[in-house]
Amino acid sequence: MNQTVASTPLINATKIVKRFGDHVVLKGIDFSVRSGEVSCIVGASGSGKSTLLRCLNALEKLTSGEVWIDDEMIGWRATKNGYVELSPGALARQRAKVGMVFQEFNLFPHMTALMNIMKAPMAVKNEPRAVVEERARRLLDRVGLSDHANHYPAQLSGGQQQRIAIARALAMEPKVLLFDEPTSALDPELVNEVLTVMQDLAQEGMTMVVVTHEIGFAREVADSLTFMDKGQVVESGNPREMIADPQHRRTKDFLSMVL
Amino acid sequence: MSISLATPKPESLRRYPYRSKASIIFGVLITICAIGMLQSVMRNPNFGWDVVALYLTAPVILKGILVTLQLTVVCMVIGIGIGIVLAAMGQSNAMPVRAVAAAFVWFFRGTPLLIQLIFWFNLSALFPDLSVSVPFGPELFSIDPNALITPFFAAVLGLSLNEGAYMAEVIRGGLLGVGKGQTEAAQALGMKPLKLMMVVVLPQALRIIIPPTGNQTLGMLKNTSLVSVLAVSELLHSAQIIYSRNYETIPLLVVACIWYLVMTTLLSGIQFLVERKFKKSDRSSSRRGLIPESESVDTGLLPQPTDGPSLQTRTAS
Repeated sequence: MNQTVASTPLINATKIVKRFGDHVVLKGIDFSVRSGEVSCIVGASGSGKSTLLRCLNALEKLTSGEVWIDDEMIGWRATKNGYVELSPGALARQRAKVGMVFQEFNLFPHMTALMNIMKAPMAVKNEPRAVVEERARRLLDRVGLSDHANHYPAQLSGGQQQRIAIARALAMEPKVLLFDEPTSALDPELVNEVLTVMQDLAQEGMTMVVVTHEIGFAREVADSLTFMDKGQVVESGNPREMIADPQHRRTKDFLSMVL
Repeated sequence: MSISLATPKPESLRRYPYRSKASIIFGVLITICAIGMLQSVMRNPNFGWDVVALYLTAPVILKGILVTLQLTVVCMVIGIGIGIVLAAMGQSNAMPVRAVAAAFVWFFRGTPLLIQLIFWFNLSALFPDLSVSVPFGPELFSIDPNALITPFFAAVLGLSLNEGAYMAEVIRGGLLGVGKGQTEAAQALGMKPLKLMMVVVLPQALRIIIPPTGNQTLGMLKNTSLVSVLAVSELLHSAQIIYSRNYETIPLLVVACIWYLVMTTLLSGIQFLVERKFKKSDRSSSRRGLIPESESVDTGLLPQPTDGPSLQTRTAS
């Protein structure tokens, strides 16, 4: 459990609606995360939890609503006539402050583990190579893969790839890390090595939003838990209390299936 | 239940792979046919092998080869450049930009190369005087198209523009072959579109683009023979110049074919080497999962997250 949670929200999403054609995936969601908080989002597949996460760094374009991170509106600029979409350059600048870890890792297959971590700080922030390499090696050590620096992604197990992916996101020194089902593509015996790294991060005070099916992780590590169903937030609050005593029938049904 | 001691161990027995009778019969037949054809060609006086030998390394022919190679290299380089620009335009957010790229590909792929070449050559008939001027303003400079469009220039123009349309499709296919997850990962790290393209997408697309580009180069080498109609003195036209004087048409066409074969064979060899090099460095093609030796390095010295305090996630209930 994290002890250094601030009182003001770092992420504040209000009235989020996302529509794909006629299909409404998110039906007006309010969601906020305070600095230093670990926030888990759970729900059945198709409930919209991944879409909500992807709206936070504008990988999905909002149909309506606003996402604010660190007092900056993400993806759009409000004018008196409406919202104007940001340029790709401005969007990239915003995304540089928000790290993301994907279900399928998405490491760059043509780069070594070390270069995967070093590339973005060098290419995006123009930081000097020596500084970045020093940080990258420290991050490799932190995820327990120092001796895999020169391995290519295809030479690593799923769990190792995901740990590299976390190090890659951390190398940009983001204000918040988004995890999109980080252990769902892993063989069962590789899940814990990734969760352990995530737990360490949480203890160091990293702000994290985690879409997951790992209820155990949510209970042990998260500061808040949000349960989503059919594009809506059904229930949210303290993870231990919610898991022990869900207030809503749909939450109860879901938890009884995954526990 | 007992096994006879006389039975040899299974691993010591020789194994004979399956050979189909049809393949043996077919092989013999093909060999006989090939020898027969070769003999009839070699003995046929109409092929004029002595003339072939005489002109195989004639200076005019060698100069023609040089022009052919020049055209191939220059037009491929320009064609690839045009292809990259068109492929990038095709991915643009702006509809007019995409439309221009699509129209270009549509036109240059949809009309015969030979006609395009003749068109460029006769540009002066279409536009008897080319000038650049400010709209509704004074003329800046004007040029005589007959001086500008030399046969060689028309050839380069025609071959390059046509190649650009085909390369645009090749490159587009390569870019589409790189997964969406790669783009999203790069976007999430804050890369701008150009960086993302140069650092993440293009290096991976290259592996998909290279084999068809090799094919395009071979095609270009042969297509340069079309510009003989513009009287550009490449290999075929050089041969034509000679046989228009001595009427040894067939032997000189044989000379040209031999040289085309030599060049395409060399190009195929280069293509093979380049593709092998890229395959070697393509780590992504190997299976996802553990390679044994990388796992063995893992044990020991460093604290592994797997060894750390594990969460009770799996036992939670």
